Amino acid sequence: MKNKYLILAILLLQTSLINTAFCQNSATNSGGQVVSVQPKIMVIPYTKEGEDLRTVLENDENKRIAIAKIKEAFDSRGFTTVDFVAKLKAAKDNNVFTSDNQTDIKSQIIQMSGADVYVQAEVIVEKGQSGNSVKLILTAYEASTGNSLSNKVGESGKFYTEDFNKLASKAVESCVEDFLNIMQIKFTDIVNNGKSVIVDISFDAGSQYKMSSEIGSDGLPLSDQIEMWMEKNAFKNNYHIQGTTDLKMIFDDVKIPLKDQATGNNYNPNKFALELFKFFKGLGLQPGKDVKGSTIYITIK
Amino acid sequence: MKKLHKISSLVIVTLLLITTGCSMKTLPSAEVNYLSGKEGTITMRAIGIGSNQEDAIVDAEKNAFNVIFFRGLPESEQKIALIGTNETEEKEKNKDYFNKFYKDKRYKTFVMSSIPTSDLTKHKGGKKSIAIDVKINLVALRKDLEQNNIIRKFGF
Repeated sequence: MKNKYLILAILLLQTSLINTAFCQNSATNSGGQVVSVQPKIMVIPYTKEGEDLRTVLENDENKRIAIAKIKEAFDSRGFTTVDFVAKLKAAKDNNVFTSDNQTDIKSQIIQMSGADVYVQAEVIVEKGQSGNSVKLILTAYEASTGNSLSNKVGESGKFYTEDFNKLASKAVESCVEDFLNIMQIKFTDIVNNGKSVIVDISFDAGSQYKMSSEIGSDGLPLSDQIEMWMEKNAFKNNYHIQGTTDLKMIFDDVKIPLKDQATGNNYNPNKFALELFKFFKGLGLQPGKDVKGSTIYITIK
Repeated sequence: MKKLHKISSLVIVTLLLITTGCSMKTLPSAEVNYLSGKEGTITMRAIGIGSNQEDAIVDAEKNAFNVIFFRGLPESEQKIALIGTNETEEKEKNKDYFNKFYKDKRYKTFVMSSIPTSDLTKHKGGKKSIAIDVKINLVALRKDLEQNNIIRKFGF
């Protein structure tokens, strides 16, 4: 009898400990209010092959003006962008750059900043006898998938002036609102139809499994098991397979919702990776998971 | 005598029907053209129809807002519809907002200037039309739509 009470007391203590560990801290409790996690957007200059991204901004004030004007347009819509110059300085301080290849440096900054979307601005200065002008090419990409979000070309028009700063401003003004409107259409589409993640499934060097291994209670090939799971779990059944080999399966576009459809809380690639992890565990496999931005890497041991 | 009455009533009814059928119908017109735009403002030339100058101006202003909301204006910075192209659905969804906006003339707070550019022109059926240049505070209008949850804020 005494033992029963002891077990009951231990169980109650355990329950209260679990509750304490997982319940929300009163200091951060928002009373169930959920604010959507906004994408991180960074505006960067366009660099040609061989150009040093680190000095390109410092040497070209037109580019700096164009970038400042683009950021101003984002601000006027109540949206804060990630500051490229600050990130560049931080990257320098932290010795992030490991390669001499400039393109790599660009990717490294994008990766380090954690930006979901980056806006690339190319400023073209044209001098002529009938006047000078500045052209601007604006492109917005989703950093993880490379999906294009918005593209616009702006023009200052030709003027008999050497004030290229003013021309750069005019070129931005001519297209930036339209550019943001198109971006917003794409964002609304993401809200309604989910955001893209990449799922890369591979095997550990010493793994005894392959994509063709027959697995699970129904003995279907692993690649088919994975696709059946994806069919059920991709948001609105929207996924695309880039390719399958015996050693690798890549989904280059899997849609996941922005909000957990059951709780209404924010949903992210990490949570989707956990679901994938549980699925592989359920098949009796030993998976390892790694999430980098919007790319999920699953390695089966 | 009764027969004559019947025939005359039939003739009157037929004439009434013919008159109604052939009368000029006013089709909703949205003759709105982009003039200029700078730093969050947009100026348009809009045509309005009404029984007097005041009504025609109000109609022109409403046309200008409707085009911005549900059609978009090529050549301007608002090439795509600010709210959406399905105006019936959008107006039904946000009845209160649009009632206040149009019926209580809240839209006037977003009009920076409204200048008639033509004389009042008379049309068949007693209707009159006028052309106006209307300048709208687009930034404030967008903010207002965002605050009232008619459109999404920038981002997710």
